[in-house]
Order: sequence, then C-alpha cells, then structure tokens
Amino acid sequence: MQKKTLGRALAGAVAAGLALSVVSLTGTAASAAPKKMIGIAFDLGGKEQPGFNQLAYIGYKTFAKTNPGWTEKDLQGNGGDTDASRAQRLKLLISAGCNPIVVVGYSYENALKTVAAANPKIKFSIVDDNIDGAANVEGLLFHAEEGSYLVGMAAALTTKTNSVGFIGGVNIPLIQAFEAGFKAGVYKVNPKIKYQSTYASNPPDFSGFNAPDKGHEAALGMYQNGADVVYSAAGSTGQGAHKAAFELGKGHWSIGVDADEALYASNAKYKSAILTSALKNVDVGVASFLSDVVGNTFKPGAHFFDASNGGVGFTTTGNYLSKATVAKLNAIKYSLASGAIVVPTDPTKVTLPQG
Amino acid sequence: MSNSQAGTKSIGNRLWKIITSPSRMMLTVGAVVILVSVIRQFTGIDDITSPGATGATIRFTIPILMAGLGGLWAERSGVINIGLEGMMILGTWFGAWFGFLYGPWVGILAGAIGGAIAGLLHAVLTVRVGIDQAVSGLAINLLGAGTARFLSGVFFIGKGGDVNISPQVNSTGSFTVPGLSPFLTTIAHKHILVISDIAGVFAGFVTKINWASLVMFLALPLTAWILWKTRFGLRMRFCGENPVAAESLGVNVYRTRFIALAVSGGLAGLGGAYISIVSTGNYLEGQTAGRGYIGLAAVIFGNWTPAGVLGGSVLFGLTDALRVRQSTSVHALLLIVISLAAAYGLTKLRKKDWKGFIINMAIAGLVLAYYMVNKVVPDEFVTFFPNLTTILVLAFLSQRLRPPAMAGAPYRKGEEG
Repeated sequence: MQKKTLGRALAGAVAAGLALSVVSLTGTAASAAPKKMIGIAFDLGGKEQPGFNQLAYIGYKTFAKTNPGWTEKDLQGNGGDTDASRAQRLKLLISAGCNPIVVVGYSYENALKTVAAANPKIKFSIVDDNIDGAANVEGLLFHAEEGSYLVGMAAALTTKTNSVGFIGGVNIPLIQAFEAGFKAGVYKVNPKIKYQSTYASNPPDFSGFNAPDKGHEAALGMYQNGADVVYSAAGSTGQGAHKAAFELGKGHWSIGVDADEALYASNAKYKSAILTSALKNVDVGVASFLSDVVGNTFKPGAHFFDASNGGVGFTTTGNYLSKATVAKLNAIKYSLASGAIVVPTDPTKVTLPQG
Repeated sequence: MSNSQAGTKSIGNRLWKIITSPSRMMLTVGAVVILVSVIRQFTGIDDITSPGATGATIRFTIPILMAGLGGLWAERSGVINIGLEGMMILGTWFGAWFGFLYGPWVGILAGAIGGAIAGLLHAVLTVRVGIDQAVSGLAINLLGAGTARFLSGVFFIGKGGDVNISPQVNSTGSFTVPGLSPFLTTIAHKHILVISDIAGVFAGFVTKINWASLVMFLALPLTAWILWKTRFGLRMRFCGENPVAAESLGVNVYRTRFIALAVSGGLAGLGGAYISIVSTGNYLEGQTAGRGYIGLAAVIFGNWTPAGVLGGSVLFGLTDALRVRQSTSVHALLLIVISLAAAYGLTKLRKKDWKGFIINMAIAGLVLAYYMVNKVVPDEFVTFFPNLTTILVLAFLSQRLRPPAMAGAPYRKGEEG
C-alpha cells in the first residue's frame, strides 16, 4: 500500500515536472517574440568546425558588429542526421524565438522545404542551395569555379615540373564545377601543362568527402607521377593531400578549398605545404542575408556570390605565392568580376585553348 | 538446368586446380607478370608496377587484413562477428586519443585494447547471454559509432579537435632498406620489360615502409601458426566445427570463444588504429568507411584461411590503390582481362570444347570493343570490382568454400548435438 502511494507521488512529481518544462518552453517562446535572435543550424559539427560552419558563424559575427542587439542560437549537425532530425532542429530554433534562421549546407534541403512552408513568417537562408518557390527562403549560391580558376592559375604559375593535379571528393556536378574552373585556370596560363585528375568516390557513395587516407594516396600518386601542385576540392579528404605534400617536403605544394585551410587545427602540421586556398566566402553570403532581413530588402530565391561581390577569392597565408603571381591573380579577379572572363563549370568541356 | 550446374562445377573445379597446384600457380603468376609487363610497356601506363603503387596497396591492405583476420578468429571459434566495423571505430578513436597523449605506439596498443573490449562485449552477449550473433554484432556497430561520437565531444573539444575530429597525432616512423631500395627503384625507372616491373613491385616493399605496417602484418603468420600448429588453435577450430563434441572432450567452449573474440576485436581495433594513426594522422568520424564489412568479405573470399584472407585483402587494397592513384591504370587492366579470357578460350579449343571457346572469345571481343571505344572505365565499376570478384568466387567456387560448420549457430553449454 505504502509502495503504491510512493509510486503515485513519484508519478505526480514527474507529471508536474513535465508540465513545468512545457510551461517554461512555451514561456520562452512567448517572451522571445520581440527578442532579436538569429538561429544557425550547422552542418556536421559545431561553429568551431573549420569550413562552412565556422564561416557561417563569422558571417553572423560580422553582421552583429554593425547591428548591436542581435544574439544568436546555434545547433550542431550530427553524422547520423536524417531529414526528420534536421527538420526537428529547425523547429527547435523556431520555438526558441529565432528569426531569421541561417541553414548551413544543402543536406538540409528536404527538411527546410517542409519547415519553411509551415512557418511563412520566419525568414531562412540556405548555403549552397536554393528552394524554388519558397517565399521566405534566400538561396546562397557560389560561383566556386571562379575561385578554382584563380588557384588553377596560381598552380600553373607555381609549378616547376609543368604538371599539376586535381582531387575531387565525390564525382558530382557541384565538385565537377571546381575541377572545370581549376583546369581552365591552369590551361589559361600554360596549355602544355600535364594535368591529372581523380575523384575519391562516386555517388551514391559520399565517403569521398571524408577520406583523408584516399586523399593521401591519390596525392602521393600524382606527385610520384610528376606533379608538384595538387588542388583538392574534397572536404576532409584534402587533409590527406596536404599530408602527402608535407611528407614529400620542399617543392611539393597542396591547395586547399572553401576556407583558408592553412588555419585549420587539423592541418596545423602541414601548413608549410599549403600554397593557397580557393575561398568560397560563406560568411559574405550569410552577412548579406542578415543585412537583407534587417534592412527589409529580403528577396526570396537564388542569390549568387562570385568575384564581383567578394563571394570567392584566394588566400596568401604563409606568403608562398610569389608577388608577381598575387598581382596577376588580383588582376584576373577584376576580369572575373567584370565578366570579361567566363569560367566553365563542366570539366569535359574544358579543352586546350586554340594555338 | 542440370547441364549448367555441371558447367559451373567444372569451372569451379578447374579454377580450384589452377589455384591449388604449386607448379601451376608459379606458371600462372609468371604468365600474369609477363602479361602485365607487356601491357604496361604497350600502354605506357607505368604506374601499375611502380614502387608507389605497391606502397599504396600495402597501406590500403593492412586495415582490411586486420579486420579480415579478426573475422577469421571469430568465425573459426564459431561466432560470426558482424561487429568488426564498430570494433574498428573504437580502434580509431582510442588509437588517436592515446596516440595524441602518449605517442603513436601507445595509441596502437590502446586501439587494440579498445577493440578487444568491444570483442569481449560481443562474447558476453553471444556466448554467455545467448543473443543472436548478428543482432549483437549490429548493436556493437551502433554502439561503437555512438561511443566514439560521445567521447569525442567530451575529450577533443578545446584540444584542437571537435565532436567528429581529434587533434593531430604523430605517425609511427617508417624505414627504407638502404642499398636495396635505391637499386630497385633505379631499375624500375628504366622501364625494361618484366625486369623493371618486378623491381618496381619489390622496391615498394623496401621503401618507406611504416613500422606499424610491418608489425601488424606479423599478425598473419602468427594467426596461421596459432590456428594450425598450437593446441589452442586446434581447440578453437574444434569449437567452430562442433562445439558439442568439443565440450564432451573437455574443451571449455565458452572460454575459448571469449579469448577468440577478444583477439578478434583486438585485431579489428589494430586495423582502426592504423587508419587513424598511420593513414590519416587523426581520428575522423566515419573514416573506417565500412572496412569492417570488407574484412568479412575477405574472410569469405579467402575460404576461412589466413593466406586466403590476405589474398582477399590485397584484392580490395590493390583496386583502391590503382583507382585512386591513376584511374587510367584500370583501363589498361582491361587488356589483362581480354588476354586472360582469350588464353582461356584457346585452352578450350585444344580440348575441342567449341562452346567454351566461343563464349570466352566473345567475352574477350566484347571487352576489347569496349576498350577501343571508351577511353576510361567508369569509376563506379572499378570501385565495385572487388565486390564483384567476391560474388563470382561465391558463385563459382561455392562447392569448394568451407566455412566452419557451426559458425553462427547458437550453442549452450551442456546441450546435445
């Protein structure tokens, strides 16, 4: 008998606790309405994860500097994420009172489609993707081939063996655009350069973005077959290429992608081998979206970032690029921005220039 | 129907004879070496037999070999170990973290211990509690991934890592045999028919070999010796073939399986530590990429023998190495397929087996047509090639495959057969 009462008391306590937590949840949601809070849903890892995550966070910080009063709430992505768990993450940010919300990575596409339709008052942006017909989503798209074009020229201007290589993560159009830009940049400088290329995996196997061991062997193979500059557009796989260049030592260069890879903690040992990185400035896109929302200039649909608005670029960390190379690349950047040079996005269409 | 079955069997028999007879094996190997050499000379794709390709093959093979040997230990004792993948994941995590703290060799040892703990868990669940072996294995795969993720969040953040990546770890050193390595490499670079190819492949074995590769490779002869030459090995195989009889003759089946599974997990953990410490230089979520399962495929391919497991692992490792280093290499390998099919067809002709002759020549012709028309083999096919080979082995040699009779069957102490 006594046991039973104890059980009932416990059950009551648990129920009360649950009710309290529900109240507190709705309470914050209600009081958060006037609060100025930006939500960020990250791709795999948190805001310190080098690459898009960190860049998106930097974009928020740039914005917050000129717009005081705004705070942020962010949630991490997991390796085992499904569309449902991603949608749940977006709903959590909404219930915490976040508006606008920055969504990092095209993996959120399906989740965002449903959540955005169900919450028309919340404004979203999605990196590397666009959701057609959604009236409250800005798609932040990057002309990555332009950045790759720049580092392709850097590679061709740096190589002493007249041989360069490209390692792609997964053989999909998104990455093929990187290769096309790189190849076009290389051939722009010197059509006689020997060019090698490989992809770490083929869809539906996406492990190629996360296979430094394969990047290592692929880069070693290219260096042993004569290349002395290798560009990896392959996520973590590129780390293996940096390792290979570092192990082979002086005269072997590796080129990073997306963010300044020479600053990644996971590349700390190899940074003396990283010639430059092709930038895809997600921070610029995110800051632009946030300013759009605050300035009431929000416009749904695809927004493109390229050389003309600071969306792409290259890095000079370590000063391994010669002064003449940097000057030349900056000049090319202007030509890209003005539209004088149009970079292809299909590597099979890149052929040797005439003559 | 019966006719085709007989045909399958005869192909199996013939293949088996070629594989098993030592003199024929030497002849076959010699012929393949000459063939590869001629094709290399003809196509100008020198990477196939370069020292670098051998080195890459070794580095891709070792983790699969470790997983495969792990699978062999488990199945020989009568327990199927689907949890190899999870055990490898724990190996990568423990290897990286302890490698970061105390140096790579401690890391490798820790990786083995991490895997062995998971192996013991598998033993408790399947041998003691009696849970279905496949279910327990799957649970360990999930548990391994989840544990590594959780521990990363606890230990790596703030130390130069994140929830899915560890701080950088130093690799174990490597060695090059002085004199021999430069000598062989020089010959390899001369591109002389056959001689340079053999020199190139051997140069790969004496140039920049990681000490960890060598130490882990020793697990193969050690496993063979334990399985076939020691009392414990005999008892272990007995437990896999007929645990009831083993028990009745005084073998402690439970204890034997506990030990075998701990070793199995330890080996998988070693493979994981190799990936994080030697191949990569840090722990990275998802870096095992299914190699635990590939190890299981190598066990089947290798007919549950240590040498066979090595063969299966090299098949997977070599394909990966050639594909990743230079995808054009694989295109040249098509010529080997053509030549082998044609040669096999000619032996049929000698025996007046017209049907076999025509079929083989048709295969050779089709592949040749493909070779002429296309400049590259689709990457997808190359990736799938080892898996396809394993399926073909299963299809053609299934009569000859001999898994341990009671692997996978539940067994309770004191039961009757």
